[in-house]
Amino acid sequence: MRKTLALVRRELVAYFSSPLAYVILTAFLFFNGYVFWLIVAFLNDPRSQAMAPLKLFFGGTIFFWLFLLFMVPVITMRLLAEERRSGTLEVLLTSPVSEGQVVFGKFLAALLFYLFLWLPTLVYVLILATHSAIDPGPVAAGYLGILLLGILFAAVGLLTSALAKNQIVAAVFAFAVLVVLFSVGLLEQLVSTPWLKGALGYMNLWDHMDDFARGLVDTRHVVYQLSVAGLSLFLATKALEASKGR
Amino acid sequence: MIEVEGLSKRYVDKEAVANVSFFVPEGEVLGFLGPNGAGKTTTMRMITGYLEPTAGQVRVAGIDVARDPLAARAAIGYLPENVALYPEMRVEEYLRFRAAVEGVPRAEVKARIAEVSERCMVADVGRQLCGTLSKGYRQRVGLAGALIHRPKVLILDEPTIGLDPRQIVKIRELLRELGRDHTVILSTHILPEVEQVCRRVLIIDRGSIVADGTPEQLRAGLTGSSELTVEIEAPGDGVATALAALPGAAEVQQEGDGRYRVVVEAGVDLRRQVFQLAVARGWVLLGLAQSTPSLEDVFLRLTTRDVAAEEAAQVEEVGRA
Repeated sequence: MRKTLALVRRELVAYFSSPLAYVILTAFLFFNGYVFWLIVAFLNDPRSQAMAPLKLFFGGTIFFWLFLLFMVPVITMRLLAEERRSGTLEVLLTSPVSEGQVVFGKFLAALLFYLFLWLPTLVYVLILATHSAIDPGPVAAGYLGILLLGILFAAVGLLTSALAKNQIVAAVFAFAVLVVLFSVGLLEQLVSTPWLKGALGYMNLWDHMDDFARGLVDTRHVVYQLSVAGLSLFLATKALEASKGR
Repeated sequence: MIEVEGLSKRYVDKEAVANVSFFVPEGEVLGFLGPNGAGKTTTMRMITGYLEPTAGQVRVAGIDVARDPLAARAAIGYLPENVALYPEMRVEEYLRFRAAVEGVPRAEVKARIAEVSERCMVADVGRQLCGTLSKGYRQRVGLAGALIHRPKVLILDEPTIGLDPRQIVKIRELLRELGRDHTVILSTHILPEVEQVCRRVLIIDRGSIVADGTPEQLRAGLTGSSELTVEIEAPGDGVATALAALPGAAEVQQEGDGRYRVVVEAGVDLRRQVFQLAVARGWVLLGLAQSTPSLEDVFLRLTTRDVAAEEAAQVEEVGRA
């Protein structure tokens, strides 16, 4: 446990001492501010139908997804690929920490950084709360959805970082995999075969997020996202172990 | 302390390490010598468990590296060939991180950092970022990190590379000192270093061990012959013939006015006979010096003879084709 924590702490030091972290933070805030403003402006129009602004904010728009699909690979790309390139992985894997601990520590650090990005969005909740009554249930569920997506995306990003030799390749690879994971569910609209429609619907991340934003915590969504994340982390550990055979 | 048995590492197109076996008893400092690409780093990586061998097994402090990698890693302090540190961490932070990862008890961390910083002469850069260190400091910070958990076994891949002469002397002193309470394997291609630091030398060439012994044994035993330089003042020129006639003299060359170089067969000391010869003939013996070949000669002979033989074989093959 202490070793994992040491890994997490080291990774967080690395995040906050690189300019990339601040670029991501700033871009994220700017972008979310813009989206939030768009949503509020849109809902202020008397002709639009009445909706909860936070429901739109949590995954209701394509902006949310675009940014997430792009940003998480940038957060995770460095984690293992850079250690391998620079040679620090050799020291890490010859010290008494298991490959699983390394993967889990790095995953946890990426997830914490991701959550840190979302922290300022609590301000939006406060702003809305001062102007109207908000329903805390859906807001909490929305944040749960954000957390689950973070777990899923960070695990996939870590897997590609374990496989790639350099961080740019890791980021592009992660982006590609995440786009497939995201868009495969959207195909639900296009097929008519009932079993396939059901299967794709089960994997529809947009729908999952929509449910969470409405305050509906469906355990099937939770199970799907956590199991894909678990599989990715498992494969990342195996990839790290297999690199010894080289 | 370190048992290596039938260790091999095969890649698709070449065998990097072929059936290497050796044993290092507790408290020994073993020098690993070999030309670049001989398989030193590959062997060391397999001992630390960073690379999986194709065949064979390694036991460190009685622990099978393949079966219980974490326990084995805890017993080993490893300094890789290219010392990589995290550039954004301060030296102290890095050592604290290494201490945590290597499992140093929390209460001892501070004292250990002070101890290894002092030993490896990095105390003055504790607040500096690892990314801004010179090569010599990076090397020593890496070494400090490898020592922080007081490992029983130290595996050091070219520990003095990139250091200035003064630092090299200090690090060699440190290595000798470490040899007292650690079992050490160090690789190098600096031969005087081996003679100064190591009690035993392994020479590895193209994946196989070609020599194993103390530096003295290697010089004496493996080269076969030694050389005698004789200076004799004598009328006429019967000296070369007389020297060549001595039993045990393999070859005599006149090197200048009254100077002769005698190649002597293994295990023979001709100095007495040369002196008696001079006395008997009434010659004046001006100088007599016996030279045992340096470790450098041993190394070159062992690692280049093969190349010459191989080239000859290749030429032959080409000729046949």
